Amino acid sequence: MNFAQFFVPEILIVVLGLGLLLWEAFGSPTIARLAKASIVGLVLIGLSAVCVSTTDTYFWSGLYVWDRLGLFFKEFLIVCTILTTLITVQYESRIGAARAEFVILPLFAAAGMLLLVSVHDFILLFVALELVTVSFYILVAFQRSQPLALEAGLKYLVIGALASGFLVMGIAYLFGFTGSTQFDVVAGVIETQGASAGILFGVLLVLVGIAFKISAVPFHVWAPDVYQGAPAPITAFLAVASKAAGFAVLIRVLDQPFSEVALEPRWIAALTVLAILSLLLGNLAGLPQRNIKRLMAYSGIGHAGFILSALSSNSVAGHQAALFYLVTYLLAYYTIFLVLAIVSKGGGKETVQDFVGLSRRSPLLAWSASLAFISLAGLPPLAGFFAKFLVFYSNWQSGQYVLLVVGIVSAVAALYYYLSMVRSMFWADPIETAPIVLCNGTKIVLWVLIVLTVGLGFYMRPLLSLVGHAL
Amino acid sequence: MLILLLLIPTLAVAAIMLGAPAKKTALIASVLNLLVSIVAAIQFVPAAPGYQFEQIFPWASLAGLPTIHFHVGVDGISLPLVLLSTVVTLAAVAVSPGDIARPAEFFSYVLLIALGVLGAFVSLDLFFLYIFHEFALIPTFLLIGIWGTQNRQFSAVQITLYLTLGSLILLAGLIALVLSLPLEARSFDLPVVQAAIAQASLSGHLENVIFGLLLIGSGILVSLFPFHTWAPSAYASAPPAAAMLHGGVLKKFGLYVLIRVAIPLLPGGAEHWHGWLIALLIGNILYVGLATLSQKELTTTLGYSSVMHMGYLFLGLVSWNEIGLSGVVFFMIAHGLSTALLFALAGEIQTRTGEIRLAELGGLAKKMPFIAVTFIIGAMAMAGLPGLANFVGEMLIFFGAWHSHPAVAVIAVWGIVLTPVFLLRSVSATFFGPLPEKFAAVTDLESGWGRAPYLFLLATLLVLGFAPGLLLAWIRPAVAQLIGVH
Repeated sequence: MNFAQFFVPEILIVVLGLGLLLWEAFGSPTIARLAKASIVGLVLIGLSAVCVSTTDTYFWSGLYVWDRLGLFFKEFLIVCTILTTLITVQYESRIGAARAEFVILPLFAAAGMLLLVSVHDFILLFVALELVTVSFYILVAFQRSQPLALEAGLKYLVIGALASGFLVMGIAYLFGFTGSTQFDVVAGVIETQGASAGILFGVLLVLVGIAFKISAVPFHVWAPDVYQGAPAPITAFLAVASKAAGFAVLIRVLDQPFSEVALEPRWIAALTVLAILSLLLGNLAGLPQRNIKRLMAYSGIGHAGFILSALSSNSVAGHQAALFYLVTYLLAYYTIFLVLAIVSKGGGKETVQDFVGLSRRSPLLAWSASLAFISLAGLPPLAGFFAKFLVFYSNWQSGQYVLLVVGIVSAVAALYYYLSMVRSMFWADPIETAPIVLCNGTKIVLWVLIVLTVGLGFYMRPLLSLVGHAL
Repeated sequence: MLILLLLIPTLAVAAIMLGAPAKKTALIASVLNLLVSIVAAIQFVPAAPGYQFEQIFPWASLAGLPTIHFHVGVDGISLPLVLLSTVVTLAAVAVSPGDIARPAEFFSYVLLIALGVLGAFVSLDLFFLYIFHEFALIPTFLLIGIWGTQNRQFSAVQITLYLTLGSLILLAGLIALVLSLPLEARSFDLPVVQAAIAQASLSGHLENVIFGLLLIGSGILVSLFPFHTWAPSAYASAPPAAAMLHGGVLKKFGLYVLIRVAIPLLPGGAEHWHGWLIALLIGNILYVGLATLSQKELTTTLGYSSVMHMGYLFLGLVSWNEIGLSGVVFFMIAHGLSTALLFALAGEIQTRTGEIRLAELGGLAKKMPFIAVTFIIGAMAMAGLPGLANFVGEMLIFFGAWHSHPAVAVIAVWGIVLTPVFLLRSVSATFFGPLPEKFAAVTDLESGWGRAPYLFLLATLLVLGFAPGLLLAWIRPAVAQLIGVH
């Protein structure tokens, strides 16, 4: 059987990246043209991925799997990459000595993430994760002349290495006690032998490694600093794509190697604790933040809590809720970061001030950002509400009443800071009064994001069928 | 037919966004909506069982989640509330000045609140019932925040947080209710849920928990004591249109959920929480009533009095007999109309004098006779004087309560004594006594169309006061049916 077809998206993305690098080396394209080429390429790759195969296939002696869940996440990540590139174009002037790699490197990170969501083996999981992380090391510290960016890069490097350490250690334990790194073999061994202390320790360490990636409390400390120091497009990429890839890996390992009956109550307990802590800390610690990126970091921790809370119900409804949630999270976060890239001055100093009185300077920007914030807060009729509804539904269905209570309390707490963002955009008088002029492309992107955020809140059927199909 | 009620405001908002003149468009839309609701009322057959003008479309489905339907329909309980919404919306649009700052946004938000309340009252699917109500919160937030007075920033955030908390608790209760049904009967569709529970009622403990969630959730929305603290300050700082729509109409949603969902479907839970509810409603009537006496501003007095009257509505609910429940529905309408009238007039006084503190006001009857007369009649309605609609509602509620809980009725009736005290105090402090010099140039409402919305609200109060049968003809069969289920 020819396996190459299953790698079509990854191969094409790498080819696209290399091609752009060559173009940059021998021609002298502007950032905008590189970005355009990259976006066109990514759209084509996204379309090609749909045509690869409709049947679930394990290949490369079971190291790798092609299935609908993988396809869902691949498309999700390609959309993230496209939007990141779009934000980069807006942000270009603030990068300082703008370099082509800033547009091209996300492609390699994306290739790693695409690989990551389809792994079916712990070694491959580690390799793919490192490809992603290494690209991010460079991107986070891209504006290395600024102290904040350097700090962010260093923290991401050190804590990323620590997370990888946990993950490798966990994989080593699992390998030591089961004799394999392949998901189905590990699952089989656990089923016959039961979960020994060594295996449990391995499971715990793997979960810790993943918890760093999705920035769940108490493994979240890196997020606010790194988000603040990284350039806005990269922060968005980290906050959405990298987190979603982490959740994809989590869903994969929970689905197969850790799905054994004896193991389930253990990781459900672990995820419940992570979810409760993330919900509370993410949403409460967001209250005093004045820097938008730090705010988004904390709010992202809170949203990771909601998704974890859905996953810990260990049901189809919970998984669907998690996927639905991720999509609404993508829409809202990219909208906010696109607006942020347009209104802020960059350099880690993106404060709430940049948004003050925005409704006078550009109603479209103010409305898109407000709808995104309200969607994150989970008020109807926006897409974020239905995501939270599904999470609460799965909570009650699986009897996770504590999670439901914590979820409600933290949703109200988070509403406070989302409302204060809306308030500063609509009520206060702007500090700078010059109207913001948007180019047509940006307007179209913003309108698409608004229509999706509002439309999916009212008419959620298309996304539901997409999510239902992925599982 | 009912979908038109939702479509008209939506289209009007779209038109305003595209540049149509804001107030004119909003007026046309609310007049059209009123006409649609009147046509619906004329075609409504009071004696027919079940819901009328029903329309149902499957909306969204997911494995493991019951199908959500878009299902609309009205019965004798929701039809009066729909009429109340369209009447108050028209009045709220009409009393708002056309030259207000940022008019396009203002009138869009008012219409969006109207859309939310109408959607909530015509929805027969629990999911849509919920989202339409919460949908109205954001426009309320913006209306108070942008066009409010006094402590608007704080009030806007406070009301939104409080009501979201209430809504989410309510949501948890609704989810729990749906999930407590047997797997094959699970549905968000209200008639289906009613049928399923009529087949096999829930277990006692579960019923108590779910009813508790629904009661606390809607209690926060209706400003049940001690969850009422958001209301007075929010109404005091809201622009009149927002206070009218929220205090008059939107707040009734929580009661509607209790009448429609919680009590008939969870009778055991209602029994379990019965004592608590009685204690809290006495808190509403007596504690809040006394607190109203000490208010120093006209708008907070009205806000507190609106909270206090919620106690009567809960009193009618706990009696749960035909006469008491008919009184609840009737009083919801009467209270909505009189609250809207008084808030609108208080707003008018505030814009004309620039003052809202009772100690600073006075003698305005000489300067603004029209406002004074309408305000006094509105206050008389609020105080429950015969000939005006509130009297009928209060009387029915007290008859019902006397029937089932004589002791509670005796305690609660003291509220009837308190109400005129604070209303007369406000009236005398505002309109009588010496006129402060600074108000020498204050003028009354110009005669003409400007007076129409006030007279319109006043007329509805009088008509319902003299001919309560108009509404009761719809309400009583529906209530009898509801009690039959029980």
